[in-house]
Amino acid sequence: MSFVRALVAAGPSARLAAGRVTASRFALAHRWHSTSPHHSHKHKDYLEPEAPVRSPGVHVYTAADEPGKDYDPYKDGPSAIDKAVHLFFFTEIIRGMWIVMEQFFRPPYTIMYPFEKGPLSPRFRGEHALRRYPSGEERCIACKLCEAICPAQAITIESEARLDGSRRTTRYDIDMTKCIYCGFCQEACPVDAIVETQNQEFSTETREELLYNKEKLLANGDRAEAEIAANLHSDHVYR
Amino acid sequence: MVSLARTIRSIRRVGLREWWRQMQYIGDAKSGRFVGQDQFGNRYFENLNAEEEVPGRHRWVDYAQHDYNATQVPPEWHSWIHHIRKDPPTEDRIVQNLSPPWKAPWVENLTGTRGAFRTYNTTKPKYEAWEPKSLPRGESHP
Repeated sequence: MSFVRALVAAGPSARLAAGRVTASRFALAHRWHSTSPHHSHKHKDYLEPEAPVRSPGVHVYTAADEPGKDYDPYKDGPSAIDKAVHLFFFTEIIRGMWIVMEQFFRPPYTIMYPFEKGPLSPRFRGEHALRRYPSGEERCIACKLCEAICPAQAITIESEARLDGSRRTTRYDIDMTKCIYCGFCQEACPVDAIVETQNQEFSTETREELLYNKEKLLANGDRAEAEIAANLHSDHVYR
Repeated sequence: MVSLARTIRSIRRVGLREWWRQMQYIGDAKSGRFVGQDQFGNRYFENLNAEEEVPGRHRWVDYAQHDYNATQVPPEWHSWIHHIRKDPPTEDRIVQNLSPPWKAPWVENLTGTRGAFRTYNTTKPKYEAWEPKSLPRGESHP
């Protein structure tokens, strides 16, 4: 143990600073591997009186000298943390059960769909619809802005000139399985033709039913025009 | 015991027969103001008393059909029962004025039935099969 000697030669303060890690590690190892009480030589040095003892029988005893007196009564039992955990977790269970009992006697919060329904915004983006003017003329002029802006590329448009010379769509297909319901199409539309209605209950049993064509979209608009127009009216001051 | 008192109160208000119907469909005893009835016979109720109905459950519909479906609610009442519009369509002047004369009758979601939507092409096909035509002998080409 040459390094110990070197430390002793270096002086007490250096020993204190450098030897702390080794000393504590050694003490820890001793505590781990030994069942007997821990007797530190340094400790005894500290407790020895400075003055020489005159009477031969006088000796300062410590608890470490007397076997059995340094017994830690909490050593094998539960620690203070364990006991606190048990105490507080038990009261937590009681408190949780109290909340359950309170809720048991309260009316249920569950919204009983489809009899009761949760609130929706007038800007809710649900199933698509193609609108008509109040005269009954279809609004869509086949400008293809919605097709261009659609990030999912769900819209397919083909157009032709009608007999009266106005351009109208011959094909307006929306693949509702591709659609991400972002609402860009209704924002892009210059004539408010394509809108997303507040209908969210258009789930189908097959994917094929979700490939909407122009007739289906126009029929959606024809059915829900009052609701669509009222919702657009309620938001017209913000548009 | 709030919910028991609420149940007894609702039974006393709506009667045993209506309570039994509610238990078969909504599964909860509710009582409130009768707001209106749509063209399909669905009845709509409202109870704005927060002590009696939890807010959020204050509007409900009693479906006319036994095989009820959320899409049996027509769009005007749909916007009322979803709390989009404050007034029911019987009182809402905006909804009434914005109803066009060409409004189509509402049909519920017919998926899974023979009335389910099946998509089709709305344009003339880009190419057609060749239909051979033979001229009888002796005639000149047009």
